[in-house]
Amino acid sequence: MRRLPGARALAVILLTTFALSPLLMLLLTSVSRAWFYPALFSPSYDMTAWTALLLDASHRTALRNSLLLGVLTAVASTALALPLGRAAALSTPLVQRTIALLAFAAVALPPVALGIGLQLTVLALGLGGSLAGVLLAHLVPALGYLTLIFLGVFLRWDTRLDEAAATLGAASGIRWARVALPLLRRPISDALALGFLVSWSQVALTLLVGGGAVATLPLDVLAMLQAGQDQRAAAGALALTIPALIVLGAARVAARNTSVVVA
Amino acid sequence: MTVALSVRGLHVLFGGPRTSRTNGTVSESRLLVNPARSQSLIVPAGYAVGLCDVSFDVSGGECLAVLGESGAGKSSLLRTVAGLHPAAGGSVHVHARDVSALLPEQRSIVYLHQEPVLFPHLSVMENVTFPLTIRGIAKAVAMRRAVEWSDRLRILNVLGANPSELSGGERHRVALARALCADPAVLLLDEPLSSLDPAVRRDVRSALLAARAASGAAMILVTHDLDDAMGVASHIAAIGRSGDLSVPLASSVIVNSPPSLDVARLLGVFTEIPGAVVNRNGVPRFEWIGGAIPAAGFGEGSAIACVRAHELALGPTCDGEQPVLLVTARREAPHELSIEVQSEAGSSATLRLGLGTSVMPGDRVQCTVTNARLFSTV
Repeated sequence: MRRLPGARALAVILLTTFALSPLLMLLLTSVSRAWFYPALFSPSYDMTAWTALLLDASHRTALRNSLLLGVLTAVASTALALPLGRAAALSTPLVQRTIALLAFAAVALPPVALGIGLQLTVLALGLGGSLAGVLLAHLVPALGYLTLIFLGVFLRWDTRLDEAAATLGAASGIRWARVALPLLRRPISDALALGFLVSWSQVALTLLVGGGAVATLPLDVLAMLQAGQDQRAAAGALALTIPALIVLGAARVAARNTSVVVA
Repeated sequence: MTVALSVRGLHVLFGGPRTSRTNGTVSESRLLVNPARSQSLIVPAGYAVGLCDVSFDVSGGECLAVLGESGAGKSSLLRTVAGLHPAAGGSVHVHARDVSALLPEQRSIVYLHQEPVLFPHLSVMENVTFPLTIRGIAKAVAMRRAVEWSDRLRILNVLGANPSELSGGERHRVALARALCADPAVLLLDEPLSSLDPAVRRDVRSALLAARAASGAAMILVTHDLDDAMGVASHIAAIGRSGDLSVPLASSVIVNSPPSLDVARLLGVFTEIPGAVVNRNGVPRFEWIGGAIPAAGFGEGSAIACVRAHELALGPTCDGEQPVLLVTARREAPHELSIEVQSEAGSSATLRLGLGTSVMPGDRVQCTVTNARLFSTV
């Protein structure tokens, strides 16, 4: 099929505009004062929203909580999902399907339904309104996503690598450290990034399980929006994207020159 | 030479734990695997006996080639000896030490897969030194050993490369060098030559010979190719259809005197001539459509004569007593000629001959068999 000249470039421009225009709007709104329709440009610009975001103690607490929850969710869900995915991949097809179904349910269930169920569970554990309770709630969808990722990874894993290393004299710990782990660097980096992002952007579960007692950045942004503080909400929303981009970038750098070995 | 590997009464099951239930109980069977020793094996439901009562010894520096059809259990034999597949019975001894209960990494047995498995995240040098560095041997010493083996196996020029940059033959030689760096007592080679083109095959075969000569390890080479077996191994054994392993014999011996028709068929170098042993005036003879040959010691009944190409000669019809055969078809292969012959009674046979034989379809010939191995099929 003959391609139209420039069609690809046009598609790239449109997609880029589509993806970046909300961010551009957020940036403009975050530094604009009294910018109302139909004015094409803001009459004045300032950094008050950003200053408030950085200096306000409640925002700093929310940011700290979000980062803490993100890191803990990423590490814990990766540490749990990796052996779970491996065990599932080595199991019978029936066990594989069951684990995949459970993992998918954690991802696919409506967040409100999942949140209410988790709220009752966390309350029963005496962790309602606590950071630990919210962490447990964040772990559920993160574990679902990451188990599916690691199930896929280990279904394609070349088990002959382990056999070759074993008969060359490598004990299981050495095989893990010298063969498996270096080859799993990329999926582990991706899993850590995804685990962080699942927690970082979580609103419904944090709200339901935290009961408003656990402040996170997404909840703060939502509250500012509801209060009509558009300039600060825009700055907060942009601030939400920065760690996400850093995490994704770091995952790519960490995974450089690695690949999953396919049988 | 001392025995490096001794396998005794090894049983290997194939299949998986599928539970076929009858009247609420998992059905399993008890199989008498060695009547002489009243030895039986419990076979769980869903499993079948793959290898049965396999015993053999291999001395250091020797190579035993194991022939067998696809699915006969050749790879399973190696994997069981290496500890990668569970044995249902029997024992494996390495230098008189029972390693049956040990993990693969504790057996001093290196298993080489059919496709060389190199660690893709390590360079060739790191691959070759892997068995040494994991034992805590100093890097300089490990590299010196790696260079020694790499020199013998002619891979010095690729030591700095990544595995993905290697050709097929180089990958085999690197895997072999890495295996030899582990200084194993036993080296198991799972059809290393089967997927290679002729030039690479010769290359890897010479590497295997070099390894055999220099390492002192006992080697088992699994193959379905007699040329590979004879080119590398000192002894040959064959896995039969019932999962048994024939007694290992020197390569020249097994080719001249295969112990059974199954083994003869696996060797793939014989013309199989169907016929029958009949007793004429107290003298047993094997009679077939092309004539008769002595069959001393054989009872009457149907039999098969296995004849090599150079033991079969065709000539013009001159002997009035000998049956005349009509050549009906001729097929040339790279190393031999195959012809179809038909007797006056309409029976036919396929004969494999040397390439120099100049017979054409329509020719009438008489056949002389100078040597044959007879197997009763009664």
